[in-house]
Amino acid sequence: MKAIIAATILGIIMMYAGFVVKEKKSVLSIATLLFVLLLGVNVWELLTAKPGETQMFFNFQLTVTPFSLWFNTLMTAATLLYVLLMGNDIIKVGKHVGEYFALFFFILVGTYMLSSFNNMLIMFLGIEIISIPQYILAGSDKRNLKSSEASLKYFLMGAFSTGILLMGITLIYGATGEFNISKFSFLQLEQVNPMVLTGVLFLIISFAFKVSAAPMHFWTPDVYDGSPTPFTAFMATIGKAAAFIGFIRLFHTSFATISDSWTMVLAIITAATLFVGNITAVFQQSVKRMLAYSSIAQAGFMLFSVVSVSALAWQGLVIYTVAYTMATLGMFAVLLKLKDYTFDGFNGLAKKNPLLAAVATVFIFSLAGIPLTAGFIAKFYMLQTAVAQGNLMWLVIFALIMAAVSAYYYFRVIIAMYFKTGDPEMASELSGIDKFLLVLTAMLVLLVGVAPQILLPNGI
Amino acid sequence: MDILQIIFWILTVMAIGCALGVVLSRNPVNSVIFLILTFFAISGHYLLLNAQFLAIVNIIVYAGAIMVLFLFVIMLMNLNADTEPQKSWLVQLAGVVSGGTLFLVIIAAISKANLLGVINKETTNIGLIKVLGQVLFKQYVLPFEISSVLFLSAMIGAIVIGKKDME
Repeated sequence: MKAIIAATILGIIMMYAGFVVKEKKSVLSIATLLFVLLLGVNVWELLTAKPGETQMFFNFQLTVTPFSLWFNTLMTAATLLYVLLMGNDIIKVGKHVGEYFALFFFILVGTYMLSSFNNMLIMFLGIEIISIPQYILAGSDKRNLKSSEASLKYFLMGAFSTGILLMGITLIYGATGEFNISKFSFLQLEQVNPMVLTGVLFLIISFAFKVSAAPMHFWTPDVYDGSPTPFTAFMATIGKAAAFIGFIRLFHTSFATISDSWTMVLAIITAATLFVGNITAVFQQSVKRMLAYSSIAQAGFMLFSVVSVSALAWQGLVIYTVAYTMATLGMFAVLLKLKDYTFDGFNGLAKKNPLLAAVATVFIFSLAGIPLTAGFIAKFYMLQTAVAQGNLMWLVIFALIMAAVSAYYYFRVIIAMYFKTGDPEMASELSGIDKFLLVLTAMLVLLVGVAPQILLPNGI
Repeated sequence: MDILQIIFWILTVMAIGCALGVVLSRNPVNSVIFLILTFFAISGHYLLLNAQFLAIVNIIVYAGAIMVLFLFVIMLMNLNADTEPQKSWLVQLAGVVSGGTLFLVIIAAISKANLLGVINKETTNIGLIKVLGQVLFKQYVLPFEISSVLFLSAMIGAIVIGKKDME
């Protein structure tokens, strides 16, 4: 609750700072400072919370658990890392720098709501608060036709999926007369109304859209490819993680008792997502577009946490989102240093800039799930939850095959960097801070890989 | 006949007359104006039913926002009687059949309905702004306040995307 208030106020301060301060670099410094402050508020709220205690706010509309506080803190830290890594590229996108940072604060407000909502209304508002700023960020490069196209596509399809989400909420409300999601946990499959099942299906469809799962993924490549690269990095990582925490929270808190009715639908969606994401990524020529498809494929793995209803799934989701976020942010930061986004643009990078090539290799290893990196342990947790579920072995085996396919397109980047000759053009030189941050991110990826329990402190 | 009944009949005649005007007038701009009058008449009915909030929202949303949009579209497209495309008899027949079917369904539904059960002599306060405000500010104060963040980001979007970049 403190974090929601703080993020809102800091977002408004950021808006005014962009209005008063004209120098773009100073706006970036103010934004960094405010994000540090927000992280401080999150840590303060996390430390003052009693372990294992659930705090209720406003008629049970928000239930803040230590888990949601921990998730909020991690996401805020990821946003801070993102701003530090790509700040200099964000301020180059357009003129309204203060507004871009303000929108990040508002997206975080939505994230905090989605990690602790206990009421369908709050969930709906949270989803909209993370979606609308993303439509704006997608279209922020106004001179670029592809950016405008991305924004319009994302907005129209997003508005449509919001309509489906509302229809689902309405049907469930109509059948139960409740907005409070913890009340739905009394639903039993034998007595359940067809209206509830239709509503659950609608909710699955609209959430699958938000996390870009397979039949609803068609917007993802165009939007991620067309948006300015720093904003693509944000949408693919923190935006996606926020949608996932809402997804798992709604389905595991409210519909766990009727899980027999929806896990099969979701398992098929997961399999389709893994298939489409990985197979299409193989054919891409641009690394940026490949990363867009890879984000679909990784969403397939994250869907495992929603499919398998258990406490382990929540822990798995935390580890997966953090591992995926760090690796993807790092990969986009490397991409931003290059002029040419195709695979050929990476040719000979190891000779020209060994450090950049080395950190890129760590990120790629993590995305592909090679042992000793965060990506491996994350995939391991996800598959473990599915195995514990019992009846999803076919999905686990399918996911393993798809993970093997993913190694092909990820390793193309490494082959281009180390085994091909060329002279990659750099968009900007690496400063000392850039080097430090990239190495730090790579170290974090490895640290989570060898000691994943640091992401799961006691009491969450 | 007391004053309320007189108002009711005036509003009813106005609503039906204007609705017919929407369909029958040849000029699209006149149609839109008739439609706005229809909305006002229906809002009057809401007021008679003690539903203030619905009446106001009906005017703001339909007569205000949506109708202005309609007018803009019609003016931009420069529609008038001369440029109106001639529709083939097949399309006209399809329109008559589908409209007639809907009419039949409505007539059937109304003839089956138990209207006496609906009529309630007691006035209720459920549509009053006061009651609604109390629900909004007591039970749903958090979503109400947080939606301001949503509107703020939408406004930022309008500025970021709509404002001309000056070099």
